[in-house]
Amino acid sequence: TTIMAVEFDGGVVIGADSRTTTGAYIANRVTDKLTPVHDRIFCCRSGSAADTQAVADAVAYQLAFHSVELEEPPRVRTAARLFQQSCYRYREELSAGIIVAGWDPRRGGQVYVVPMGGLLLRQPFAVGGSGSSYIYGFLDATFQPGMSRSQCQEFVARALALAMVRDGSSGGVIRLAAITEDGVERTVLAGSDLP
Amino acid sequence: GTQSGVTTISVCRSPMVTGTSVLGLKFSGGVMLAADTVGSFGSLARFRGISRLLKVNDSTVIGASGDLADFQHLRQLLEQMVIDEELLGDGHSYSPRALHSWLTRVLYNRRSKINPLWNTVLIAGVYGGESFLGYVDMLGVAYEAQSLATGFGAYLAQPLLRAELEREQERDRLPTREEARELLERCLKVLYYRDARSFNRYEVATVTEKGVELEGPLTLEANWDIAHVV
Repeated sequence: TTIMAVEFDGGVVIGADSRTTTGAYIANRVTDKLTPVHDRIFCCRSGSAADTQAVADAVAYQLAFHSVELEEPPRVRTAARLFQQSCYRYREELSAGIIVAGWDPRRGGQVYVVPMGGLLLRQPFAVGGSGSSYIYGFLDATFQPGMSRSQCQEFVARALALAMVRDGSSGGVIRLAAITEDGVERTVLAGSDLP
Repeated sequence: GTQSGVTTISVCRSPMVTGTSVLGLKFSGGVMLAADTVGSFGSLARFRGISRLLKVNDSTVIGASGDLADFQHLRQLLEQMVIDEELLGDGHSYSPRALHSWLTRVLYNRRSKINPLWNTVLIAGVYGGESFLGYVDMLGVAYEAQSLATGFGAYLAQPLLRAELEREQERDRLPTREEARELLERCLKVLYYRDARSFNRYEVATVTEKGVELEGPLTLEANWDIAHVV
């Protein structure tokens, strides 16, 4: 798996590959690893599919409840904190590396990373999954703060494409999503569309 | 038969995202802590902007090495304790010694349940005119000293710190603030040269009677001249 999220002024761009493996067999080649937990808050899932789906479902429920009580859209930080609480408490049982990204009216676009172990950290951009190891160099050399939305999309697509080539556990199509105040725009880059 | 309602959480965990050495040194007028700002995921320097020094209240700072998720957990506990205390509004705040004692109890109790918080913590503070520098680790081992270091620092930095303190002791004094700062930076440089999990960005926390000052992130300048000689 390779997952990624980048903040820009006005929202976030998130992306993931689409390969799920059982050992060396590709169980699903068109997986959607970008999971909504609320209208403007998504999570990118890496690690055990079962674990991350279970945690994401639980967080989506908690957020829905919380949002009704709050009578306003929940903060991205709240969603990230909910993920962290489960991932830290059950750190021994879980294999989950999650990136939480979204938009809220208070702080705009935000990216939070909850790696294995249950640490919570906010970053301008984040990568995760087995494929991420291969692109740290590329990211360090290429990332610049203050990129526009389309620059972020290009950055994420290029990074994911590079990782998917080298990592056997990543591949398939690139799923991208841009989350802003106006909503969520999802795109798929497949085959010849890949950078 | 039926199980009781108790769920056992797995035991003896392994640290995931870790911090390396923390250094502590008493000087004349207070105490200083220094630590780099990297969170390592095994050998990968994954998170390069993490603060491992925490201001607890106006008289105490702590620095942690080891698992950073556990450190965040400790941070939450401590921050809540400080809030609860402020709500009491009786003018008292936790002394560095009290915090050291509390941390020792917490860490020792967790180790006794074979579910440790995988951290080594240095506590530095000034309270009632006296400086305090203490150490607690994941086993609940706790002690105080004039100079302390965790992780690699215990092997590489502590001898340098102790040598300096002995030199000052002969003149019956502690290092000045500037001398302490310069010494800690020199130790951090040695650690950057020799610790494969270190990083050249760091923070320094200084506690004096006036309170806590947190500086950083600062960058270390490394000297590679010997590369040309070899």
